[in-house]
Amino acid sequence: MTSKNKVLAILIIAFFTMLCISVKAQSYLSSNVKTSFFSSTPIEDIKAASNKTTAVLIAKTGEFAFLVSMKSFEFEKKLMQEHFNENYIESDKYPTASFKGNIQPNIDWSKDGEYNVVAKGILSVHGVSKPRTIATKISLKNGIATIASAFDVACVDHDIKIPTLVFTKIAKVISVKVNGTLTQKP
Amino acid sequence: MEPLLKNPKYMLKTATLIALAVLLNGNIYAQSADSLLKTMTDSTKIKTLNPTFKSTRIVLSQSTETQKKHDLDMRIRHHFGDIGGEFGSAHTLYGLDVATDLFIGFDYGITDKLTVSIGRSKHNELYNGFIKYKLLEQGGGKNGNIPINITFLAQMGWIAREPIATTEFPSYANRFTYFLQPIFSRKISQRISLQIAPAVLLRKNTTESRDPDNLFSIGFAGRAKLTKRLSFVADYTFVNGLNRPSDLAQKFYNPLGVGLEIETGGHVFSLNFMNSEYISENSFIPDTKKSWKHGGVRFGFTISRNFTLFKSKDKDLQSKIY
Repeated sequence: MTSKNKVLAILIIAFFTMLCISVKAQSYLSSNVKTSFFSSTPIEDIKAASNKTTAVLIAKTGEFAFLVSMKSFEFEKKLMQEHFNENYIESDKYPTASFKGNIQPNIDWSKDGEYNVVAKGILSVHGVSKPRTIATKISLKNGIATIASAFDVACVDHDIKIPTLVFTKIAKVISVKVNGTLTQKP
Repeated sequence: MEPLLKNPKYMLKTATLIALAVLLNGNIYAQSADSLLKTMTDSTKIKTLNPTFKSTRIVLSQSTETQKKHDLDMRIRHHFGDIGGEFGSAHTLYGLDVATDLFIGFDYGITDKLTVSIGRSKHNELYNGFIKYKLLEQGGGKNGNIPINITFLAQMGWIAREPIATTEFPSYANRFTYFLQPIFSRKISQRISLQIAPAVLLRKNTTESRDPDNLFSIGFAGRAKLTKRLSFVADYTFVNGLNRPSDLAQKFYNPLGVGLEIETGGHVFSLNFMNSEYISENSFIPDTKKSWKHGGVRFGFTISRNFTLFKSKDKDLQSKIY
């Protein structure tokens, strides 16, 4: 074996070792993350929440994916819930909302503590995808990652139309909160 | 790479390594956030469709929809007089001077499936009460593959007015009528919903001996959504010529109603034209004496307002109207 080949072989082995490590990398999972939103106008405050958001965080890469079924959002007024699904979010056509991307920069998942991170990714609501950068707090303790995030979604960004008749009742910008605990899976 | 590949001893190793790499890469793919998510979300699928009809009523008849749990719906309905013919024209402002029937009713959802209601009509001073139960919901079930909605309606009517002739109500029981109706509907597409509803009306007072006490009918209804909040609705009830002779001394017609339904948040406005003078099923099915042909069509409207009676205990859901 020439020295050139030796180097190549070592490189290849190193590469595969790396892959092996990533395969064994931990992920943090949850299927009951809470997503809530709030619309506030001088006339009416509307709140809704779903605690059926599924979330995946891959420690090694900092890659994440959040997904929520629009029909899992609950409102105080069921009729409002029906209108949310049928008239605004059109959940038959666009059944889910998601946020997928990477934590930048990635954190040291082996150390417990609180981290303020930036989640960069694609937010997809009502069939419209937008690149978003969302500040998020991650608290790590004993293999449990608690995440807390708050951000705004403008209806117009996602082509959600509010008719003039109810313009005073529904905010143009909706405040969204995502809270939950993700447990470590090997 | 050249000598490595040409040497058969190393070629085998290289091949093994490549195979390993492919395998490992496959593993990595299975571990990507997105695909992990997909394996998790399968179990949390919610498949229920959006509602088949906007309202619990179509034009004259009831739809398969029921009230939401703990929601109270107040309905005010008005049927005006004949637009044309003997009783219509400019003398009554095309029927607007006349109210052939007025109705006020309250529907309350005990659960999402069970609605109870009370109401009162001007015609016959009729008090009515009904229970409505949603047996099956399209898109429901474990696999989300239930193809139709089935709702059962049972309504009782009590005629409270003074008898016109002393012999009119030989027994007090003659004042009561019972309407039983299974309702079947299907949301064909996002825009089109269709409904069929066979029914029987149990009654004791008929003006003619040939007019059967137990009156069968079949209702057909449909909705075509024009926009998200505006729909065209129509219903037709086939009753004369079914088990009731169509050549009675008093000529009866089959009720036909068409209308527009406008939803604005908690309100639904329904603007209709129909030949039926009366509002309750117990009245309009047996007693429609006007025809679309001879100016007997009239304008009618419904205003419905929905109230949520109980506040949510969940702080994240508590909404507020200022």
